[in-house]
Amino acid sequence: MSDAPDVALEDVRKGFGATQALRGVSLAVGHGEVYGLVGPDGAGKTTAIRLMAGLLRADGGRVRMLGEDPANPRSQVREGLGLVPQRNTLYGDLSVDENLHFFARLFGLSKEDFASRRERLLDITRLGRFTERRADALSGGMYKKLALACALLHRPRVLLLDEPTNGVDPVSRRELWELLYTLVHDGMTLIVSTPYMDEAARCHRVGLLYAGELIAEGGPRELARQHGVAASNFEAVFLALVERRNGTGGRAA
Amino acid sequence: MATSHARRTVGRILAMAGKEVLHIRRDIRTLYLALAMPVLLLVLFGFGISFDVDHLGLAVVDQDRTAQSRELVRNVTASEEFILQWEGTSPEEGLRELRRGNAIAVLVVPRGFAEDVAGGGAQVQLLVDGADGNTATQAMAKAQALVDAASRKFAAAAPRAPPLEVRVRTLFNPNSRSALFLVPGLASYLLAIVAVLITALTVAREWERGSMEQLFATPVGRMEIIVGKLLPYLGIGLLQVLLVLTAGAWIFDVPVRGSVVALGLGALLFLIGMLGQGLLISVVTRNQVVATQVATMTSVLPSMLLSGFIFPIANLPPPLKVVSMLIPARYFVSTLRGVLLRGNGVDVLWPQLLAMAIFAAVMLTLATRRFQRRLD
Repeated sequence: MSDAPDVALEDVRKGFGATQALRGVSLAVGHGEVYGLVGPDGAGKTTAIRLMAGLLRADGGRVRMLGEDPANPRSQVREGLGLVPQRNTLYGDLSVDENLHFFARLFGLSKEDFASRRERLLDITRLGRFTERRADALSGGMYKKLALACALLHRPRVLLLDEPTNGVDPVSRRELWELLYTLVHDGMTLIVSTPYMDEAARCHRVGLLYAGELIAEGGPRELARQHGVAASNFEAVFLALVERRNGTGGRAA
Repeated sequence: MATSHARRTVGRILAMAGKEVLHIRRDIRTLYLALAMPVLLLVLFGFGISFDVDHLGLAVVDQDRTAQSRELVRNVTASEEFILQWEGTSPEEGLRELRRGNAIAVLVVPRGFAEDVAGGGAQVQLLVDGADGNTATQAMAKAQALVDAASRKFAAAAPRAPPLEVRVRTLFNPNSRSALFLVPGLASYLLAIVAVLITALTVAREWERGSMEQLFATPVGRMEIIVGKLLPYLGIGLLQVLLVLTAGAWIFDVPVRGSVVALGLGALLFLIGMLGQGLLISVVTRNQVVATQVATMTSVLPSMLLSGFIFPIANLPPPLKVVSMLIPARYFVSTLRGVLLRGNGVDVLWPQLLAMAIFAAVMLTLATRRFQRRLD
């Protein structure tokens, strides 16, 4: 088995006009890891996720997903990739079942495979009672679960989640994370972007993004220890790192 | 391996097409725009727009007051194309009727008309209100025809017949009915609206609501997205052609005299070109409001103004004539008139079909090239 990481960014730069969204970001995520891209709004999290999914092409550096360039249209990488975008991008006028069926067909699932995947995913997402409901009539949490189910239909090796808990109530947030851990047990690699610092503690490793730069990377406990705070107070770690990066000094409280 | 790849490609295209059908079924406005509106517009346009001018008000200044002059007036007003609104002997009063809008024309029969008829050299004067050019032109033509008919009657009664007589017969639309002229043009116009506008809107909507991002994260290819999205609208477009032609035949007695193959081929090529144009607009604009405006400017208006639907292409100024060569509706209008009215087939209409095929190929190529599977 190869030791190559499932996902790798090497000195990746990406700009939109005058705005530099990513300034030479490098990171590597191994198989079966839960990697958190943590940072405030505008840090470059969505750009990084989109680059990994091949939805954007980097201005410089190299992006590898499962050993391939994901931006190459001929790449087969999408067969092994699942994406839950930040925005509600499912078809709101289609029901839960219709959305699942549509994406299953795009991923080329057989009828039998779809039937068993549908049953399993509706079970773990607890959406079984809402199969006839239109996607735009679902609550925020249920919508995210449907998006997750659609992204998991084809059993991807890597799952990218862009702020999956954004706008989701605390109970649904916890359920969603429990669901993600179930997936990791199945051997999937997860990359989760989030602006919520408390969610960093749920990841195996985190990369702290700020103004397009990866200002720190490591295990959440390790980073907290380095800054002399509890892992549950990850916000203090982040603020200390930002102050150090901005040259404003100070030590985390 | 290749078979499996092809099967998956077809599967994804059908998935895209199936999803689009669901959207159409859920959005009653799209169905209305696609199917009900064309028939409604056909009826409105068919009955509302007519170039047939009759019941024109006529003022007669009869200064001769003889049996012949009265016979002439009777001949001119008998068909009811002209209705006698005023009769007198003063040319000034006749002109007053014209100025007041009570009459569109004044027929002046001069003193000595009967004697001149007998002598073989009679003249009458027709003063026409030129404020409405189209009506004036038709009024002149109709009056000329009616006076000619009366003239032939007088000549038959005279000892010698006129030396030269032209017998005009209008082919393909002998009664010059506007509906026969309008329905083929209207069909092209309506198809252009639906094909370009709906396609532009539906693809732009995917960009706006972000679902394109979700699609790009799946194995579906850009050609599969394009073909899958266009197929349902191609089906709707062809259904629309059938509806419009059936309504045209049923309500306005528009015949189908020529090759059905040429008709089907023309409709298919025209629709593919229009769908390709809609797709190109949506790929470039990625916004429904802008897409609507661009679609209106580049397809709906030219299809009405530069296709020969209403204004003859021969009458366009030279620069617009050149521009009209880039408008596929021009070729489709010509194809429809050829098949429906002149009884033409592919052997005659191949240049029009070729022009539409070239347009379709160019539009689809441009749209596919611009349609990158990325968000930047």
